[in-house]
Amino acid sequence: MKKLISRRNFLAAMGTVAAAGVLTACGGSSSGTASSAAASSTAASAAESWGDVKLTMWGAEEDQTMLREMADAFIEQNADKGNVTIEIGVQSESSTKDTVLADPESAADVFAFADDQLNELVNAGALQEILLNPDDIKSRNLPGSVDAATLNDKLYAYPMTADNGYFLYYDASVLTAEDVQSMDTMLEKAAAAGKKFMMSVNDAWYIYSFYAGAGLVATLAEDGINTVCNWNEAPGADVTQAILDITANPGFKSGADADIVSAIKDGSCCAAISGTWNANTAEGAWGEGYAATKLPTYTLNGEQVQMGSFSGYKLVGVNPHSANVGVAMMLADFITNEDNQIKRFNDRKLGPSNINANATEAVQSAPAIAALAEQSSYATLQRVGANYWNSAASLGEILVSGDTQGKTTQQLVDNAVAGITAPVAQ
Amino acid sequence: MAEMVLTPPLRADGREPNFLQKFGHAFVHGDIFTKLSFVVWGLGYIGHGQLIKALLVTLVQGLGLYFLGTSGIPALKKFSTLGTVQMEMQFNPLTLKNEVNNYDNSFAILLLSVIALVVIVTLIAAAMLVVQSNYALQAQKAAGKKPNNFRQDITMYLNEKFYVTLLTLPVLGVVVFTIVPLFILIAVAFTNYDQQHMPPAALFTWVGLANFAALFGGQSLTVTFSYAFGRVLGWTLVWAFFATFTTFFGGVFLAMLINNKKTKCQKLWRTLFMVTIAVPQFVTLLLVRNFFSDAGIFNTLMTNAGVTDFLKTIGLLGQNMNHIPFLTDQHWAKFMIVLINIWVGVPYQMIIATGVLMNIPGDMLEASTIDGASPWQSFIHIKLPYLFSVQGPALVTDFVKNVNNFNVIYLLTQDVYITKNQALASSSAKEVDLLVTWLFRLTQEQYNYKMAAVIGIMVFIICAVFTLVCFRFLNKKEATFS
Repeated sequence: MKKLISRRNFLAAMGTVAAAGVLTACGGSSSGTASSAAASSTAASAAESWGDVKLTMWGAEEDQTMLREMADAFIEQNADKGNVTIEIGVQSESSTKDTVLADPESAADVFAFADDQLNELVNAGALQEILLNPDDIKSRNLPGSVDAATLNDKLYAYPMTADNGYFLYYDASVLTAEDVQSMDTMLEKAAAAGKKFMMSVNDAWYIYSFYAGAGLVATLAEDGINTVCNWNEAPGADVTQAILDITANPGFKSGADADIVSAIKDGSCCAAISGTWNANTAEGAWGEGYAATKLPTYTLNGEQVQMGSFSGYKLVGVNPHSANVGVAMMLADFITNEDNQIKRFNDRKLGPSNINANATEAVQSAPAIAALAEQSSYATLQRVGANYWNSAASLGEILVSGDTQGKTTQQLVDNAVAGITAPVAQ
Repeated sequence: MAEMVLTPPLRADGREPNFLQKFGHAFVHGDIFTKLSFVVWGLGYIGHGQLIKALLVTLVQGLGLYFLGTSGIPALKKFSTLGTVQMEMQFNPLTLKNEVNNYDNSFAILLLSVIALVVIVTLIAAAMLVVQSNYALQAQKAAGKKPNNFRQDITMYLNEKFYVTLLTLPVLGVVVFTIVPLFILIAVAFTNYDQQHMPPAALFTWVGLANFAALFGGQSLTVTFSYAFGRVLGWTLVWAFFATFTTFFGGVFLAMLINNKKTKCQKLWRTLFMVTIAVPQFVTLLLVRNFFSDAGIFNTLMTNAGVTDFLKTIGLLGQNMNHIPFLTDQHWAKFMIVLINIWVGVPYQMIIATGVLMNIPGDMLEASTIDGASPWQSFIHIKLPYLFSVQGPALVTDFVKNVNNFNVIYLLTQDVYITKNQALASSSAKEVDLLVTWLFRLTQEQYNYKMAAVIGIMVFIICAVFTLVCFRFLNKKEATFS
């Protein structure tokens, strides 16, 4: 009996360790020879007839119906060329990388993802360089979105939306367009109205806006893995003090995305920094008063500084391990063309990256998209390494709490930069 | 004479000969068929008149050899380098397809090699068994008995040898799902398999003990690694201690309460607590995380009930706080995690404790009551020692399980808890992290499989040593109790 227990326990412990092994084991078991053999055996077939083509496509859960319609349109359009079947799967764009990198060979042929994952996907060989009409794609999309899809002068994805950044929402019945130009006025008016301006200061993605506005840098190093950051150089310490002043203001409240949503709904929040995903909530709660604009300026050493931001694009990539890379590229091209970007805006209110689609009146009159366009001249691409997130978030959390733990603002940024720029474990 | 040769001799020390000795004897003294069966399994059975068996074993051997010939041996040939040909792709605009060279996939090579090694060992062991079984047939024939026909064999495996039939699937399962992944995990610890070397686009290769050197040597995983490791290990042990004993005593008291003669509707209460088990743990934990968030329902309740203000007055809460930071302040969060774990874990312990308590010999308790022992005394001197002696091994297992209790910690704190300790943040650690959750973030989220493997091995060693020491101690104690 005793023996049995100890052995079972031994197995349980082994199992725990093995679990990690199983996770890794899923990483890449595959048959390299099979796919290469398939490629060479069909090399003789002519391009004008595709034969039977089976593709899978991953997109956001909310987009499933729309993607199905687009896929059906693609199938119909190419009915004369081949027998295409398209399967659609759910994959949140913010975590596509995690699923694809788990096993690139079994990932979908076509998948949507947020542009900050481009580097890692390319490094892992999980993105096909776009070789069918790349110049056409470059010319018909906004320059920022093309940059976001490009690495080392090669185009790796099809720009899909240009709305994945953040900007300022406000309730025009409380604050005027004039008020929201500067943080100081906005906070003062909000406090006077007994309401709050909200922002996730303890989120590394948002706290970037203060330092970027002051001209400081946090970006990827040459190696594409580590982060370069100079927040501890002048005026970094003063920016930190400015954030401390803002978080201590009675008109300010820091909160996570969910907190902001509930505060907008219960009426305690009259302005917030967030993205298009909360536009419907804000519009629903504020009604006529719903308005959006670029981020405000804040006071740094007595001067007004425009807040920066991370711009964000959603892209559609093609899996190089796909058995039908060419048709997959055509499908990706199709679902991101002008018509389908307009459809995406009409169905899902997603801001187009296509220049013509973006210029339509309907798009231009959507407050959130106009605000993003306004902010875009102060926005930079989100290109930071893995060690950026925890240290920057920790700095934000300290500033929100208002307790600097006896450290000077210079020491706080020094510590943060030490963590951000630390080499990623290799 | 023949009988003497056909029975394997006893060893000099009088014990049964072992597997190898039996095989050696069978092979040396076997007839030509027995000897041939080592190479082609079926030949022996054909020679000894068991045709269906001959067909089946040859089929199994053939499958094994086929696997080795087509994938196993080619992979083993590349095992020393884990592949040398990097994948190269060329898009062909005419065929609309990517043309790929005949590249090596390091992971496939590693996987197939490990399977091949397991298959080879199994084939050799099976061949030895086949020789012995043929030798037994030979012996039967020599003794003038008729060997079993196929139907008789089947009947035997369903009757006197049923344990063999029963154990076949579990053993196969252990080999496929535990032993092979375990070998691969151990092997990965000696390679450079990470984000920069991720198959199929890139190759990885052996690096010897470099990963272990990286963990213990000068260049650690992160800049503040040793500080973070100390902090996290400390909390891991504190957590494991509290998580184990709070749920244990919680379960015992709850069981005693429900089993008390004065308690009404015992079955109802027991069922109610069991319902919490029926809900998947991760669902419960994610829900609870939302309940206790800074703007969550529980905070609203507390504010409306005036508890938040009360806590401020007695100084448990900062003056500028307008919510209770249940999961966002390190002390509150640690307390809440243990508390929530009690809630999640107590029902299991209650069931076990109910069973154990019912098994306490009634005369023992009766005798103590007659001798005038109070309920408290009988709990301390009879029930508790009894519980410990029976549940001791389970407690040790629970402790190890709690050291690795990924779910509770990760699901309750991920995306919610942000550390204010910059030194910890530099190592991607938090005050509430266990070793497993921290290392998960450090390695799995950055696809650093090689370090994950190294750390997996280290955690295993720590747990194994702890378990062995505890069981030694427990075994001694148990001997004295009974």
